[in-house]
Amino acid sequence: MAATRTQKEIRQRAPIWLVMLLITNFAVMAVDANRRFTQQQTFKGLVQAVFSPIQNATSWVSSAGGGFINEILNFRSTARENQSLKERLAQTELELRNTKEAKTENYRLQGLLALKAEPGPEKVFARVIARDASVWFNTIMINRGSSSGVALNMPVITPGGIVGRVVAVSPVTAQVMLITDEKAAAGAIVGQLGGSGALGSVRGLGNSGLVEMRYVSGLQKVDVGDYVLTTGQDGIYPAGLNVGEVIEVKNGTATQPHQIYIRPSARLDQLTEVAVLLYQPPQRPAPEQTLPNVDKTKAMPRDR
Amino acid sequence: MPQFKIAAVLALAIILQLTLGEAWPPLSHIDFPLIVVVYVALQRDAWTALIVGTIAGLAIDAPSGGLIGAGGFSKTLTAYLVYLGATRVNLENALIRIPVLAAATLVDGAVYFFWQRSLGHPPSAPFVQTISYNLIGTTVIGTFVLYMLGSVFNPTGTQSRQFASRRRGARRSASFSKRR
Repeated sequence: MAATRTQKEIRQRAPIWLVMLLITNFAVMAVDANRRFTQQQTFKGLVQAVFSPIQNATSWVSSAGGGFINEILNFRSTARENQSLKERLAQTELELRNTKEAKTENYRLQGLLALKAEPGPEKVFARVIARDASVWFNTIMINRGSSSGVALNMPVITPGGIVGRVVAVSPVTAQVMLITDEKAAAGAIVGQLGGSGALGSVRGLGNSGLVEMRYVSGLQKVDVGDYVLTTGQDGIYPAGLNVGEVIEVKNGTATQPHQIYIRPSARLDQLTEVAVLLYQPPQRPAPEQTLPNVDKTKAMPRDR
Repeated sequence: MPQFKIAAVLALAIILQLTLGEAWPPLSHIDFPLIVVVYVALQRDAWTALIVGTIAGLAIDAPSGGLIGAGGFSKTLTAYLVYLGATRVNLENALIRIPVLAAATLVDGAVYFFWQRSLGHPPSAPFVQTISYNLIGTTVIGTFVLYMLGSVFNPTGTQSRQFASRRRGARRSASFSKRR
């Protein structure tokens, strides 16, 4: 009965409490609105001071957990941004690579220009259009042929040094055997022509990318780092072309020649442009017919 | 109803209201203090409901850019209206609480907007759009929160409601077997 009365009393008094609270709220509102016009928000400041502990706690919770929640909520946008950045990075890397390639090409072309300006045989510049796809040969294909004056056995060079010689010619292309091919060879000397007696012959070592110099007397002094030049005695390469640099020497003896390994100066694995020397080696004099060891039957076959 | 539980839940609701909005702004459309106010009012405790409404409103008003007291006014009035409805109509059913929560959201938003505008501080957010988002967020989340609050404050009552259907089913089967 008492509980019912209490509920009844509560029900009767509820509107009074409501009106009181509403009036209180309205008064607060009115004061706040009035203060806002006069820029004096002391009341709001007071209320905020009362609730500041809650706000501080809220701020702490927000700073502690908000970042984590934000990371989760922003996961998709982060993934998109990540993708976009990856694409931009790839684009930048591509541009950087292109720039480096352009720079390298610039150096290369400058070298070719310098090569063109050098005195000596006339040169035909060509672009490497193919490499030997098999592992059996070290040859390249260039885009200049007989129509440009290229002929068999003409030497092919770069600003760095010799590349090889022409082994096949078509009107518009030519095949070049690299100096590293096992069948390639050239007469060479370690050091300056006329200043050294370390004469010999260089031969390719196949896919190792090196060439070997043979027949250099074991009495000659050869060191690692010495440069090797062509002698012009092979009937293919003119004298004085750079072959490469000595990287290893197996010293010989008085009766045994040195074994010299040379890294070609021309960067044969990165060839893009080369120059073909329109070089005709000087004709060797025919053997004198009066000498006793000449096969005269070959010289005069029709006389019989 | 233990008063400290209400205070704790109200504090948690205020903290959630202030925190979630900072973490992700759309979450601020869920009015957690209003959900607590509606729950307390549904318990037919007028004095507690009115006090909770006033405190919740003022607590949210303080850090907000609006007028202090507008939220207190609207939530106090909303609490009384819900209390009035609960004393006249049986609102124990969870499904009926959904429209009550929706109506409370509308009333709260409308009164708040009215006072802000009347006293020369109209909110910058568009009324219809904001109150629509509030309606969706508060009603959807509030339905679950009300259920959870029922479990927290009155677990036995919740269990008895859950088993009421089983009891009814059992009575029906018993009377059916007696007839046979």
